[in-house]
Amino acid sequence: MISVQNITARFGEKTVLDRFSLQIPDTGLTALSGPSGCGKTTLLRVLAGLQCVEEGTVTAPRDPVLLFQEDRLLPWRTVGQHISDVLPKSRREEVSRWLALAELEGEENSAPAALSGGMGRRLALARALALGGGLLLLDEPFTGVDAPRAGRILERIRALGMPVVLSSHEKEVVELCDRVILLDGPPLSVRSI
Amino acid sequence: MTPSTTSRNKNKILRAVIPLAFWLGVWQLGAVFMDWRTGGYGSLLLPGPGEVAGRLIALAVEPAFWQAAGMSLVRIFAGFALGAVIGTAAAVATAAFAPADWVLTPAVKVVRAVPVASFIVLVLLWAPTTGVVPAIVSALMVLPVLWGNVGKGISQTDPQLLELAKAYRFGRAKTMRLIYIPSVLPYFASGCATALGLAWKAGVAAEVLCLPALAIGTKLYRAKITMETPDLFAWTVTVVVLSFVLERAVGALLRRMGGGKA
Repeated sequence: MISVQNITARFGEKTVLDRFSLQIPDTGLTALSGPSGCGKTTLLRVLAGLQCVEEGTVTAPRDPVLLFQEDRLLPWRTVGQHISDVLPKSRREEVSRWLALAELEGEENSAPAALSGGMGRRLALARALALGGGLLLLDEPFTGVDAPRAGRILERIRALGMPVVLSSHEKEVVELCDRVILLDGPPLSVRSI
Repeated sequence: MTPSTTSRNKNKILRAVIPLAFWLGVWQLGAVFMDWRTGGYGSLLLPGPGEVAGRLIALAVEPAFWQAAGMSLVRIFAGFALGAVIGTAAAVATAAFAPADWVLTPAVKVVRAVPVASFIVLVLLWAPTTGVVPAIVSALMVLPVLWGNVGKGISQTDPQLLELAKAYRFGRAKTMRLIYIPSVLPYFASGCATALGLAWKAGVAAEVLCLPALAIGTKLYRAKITMETPDLFAWTVTVVVLSFVLERAVGALLRRMGGGKA
């Protein structure tokens, strides 16, 4: 079980999570949904261990991987290199597999600047998936990606068998998840579908 | 070759030739005026471009020309390389360790402010041989420029990419190779372009003051005391050409290192 107990976290001066508690099953796909600024990104960063909490406890699988809200691509690396950079030497032949998962076949030698916004997002997603870990945390993974493609990619992610917590505004993406946690700013409500 | 490519190449050639022809014309007019004003002794003050070119060709057939030019090139490039290495190392140290910043920053600021003539005289007093003075002086000119540029490059490295490197478990060497070096390379390249010009100016000035056996600066000094003004101009042209060649070579090397982006 992934859990946060009575955590308080701030973003600058603003308290985003105030003695916030939540439990999420560590299987399947969990969607965090809610309006902008309600704390989805902060919660994902807390689970990834990138944001300190002022109080409370966090329990999450080891080596979580966060897909950041921004693509954070390296302009000087090709598409293929973005994937091989996160793979150990023994797994370098997997590059085409991860690119295929994100429907980026044939783009291996392209520069990030040559990609569209949606393609850049899919590359960032493929890189996070290739890195792998005990928990996948995906912050708005399908921004700029059309709904049918997002659905296909999400089903492939489900097939990887890793627990996934994602934040999304897209109704089509949220509906494909096993459960949805609605965050409407503290206090929050939790609802399963 | 398409018509637009031919037109672009023609424009490129014209843009290179027209300014050169203009300034050579101005130079020639100046030389003619000076010759008229001094009653035929104008080449003592301002020789024309044709006369200088003639002297340059005459000098270039002598082995001593190539020996002097080669030794100056070696000294100044060695000084540039030394200054670039120390300047970069100092920038990395000051970015990584606060105590290094406290100690090195004032020292580098002093190096930046001290006049080049003071350095030349001081290094001449301390150096074991006159041949190393131009290299040391060039290094001292290059060091603060590279320190400043590389330091700025390090501080401007995208914090989001650094957070990505941490979150994706890149480790120090990988973070250096994939994020810091490509981020800093454009700043380093820009610093090198500025510093190379300074290295030539300071290095040749040092040669003029300390007179090593084989050096362009020594030839410039001798041309000055024997009033061989065309030789003075010919050696100056040599410095300009060597500086340009070295700048292009270093630029090409950096572009290759940066995959064409430096």
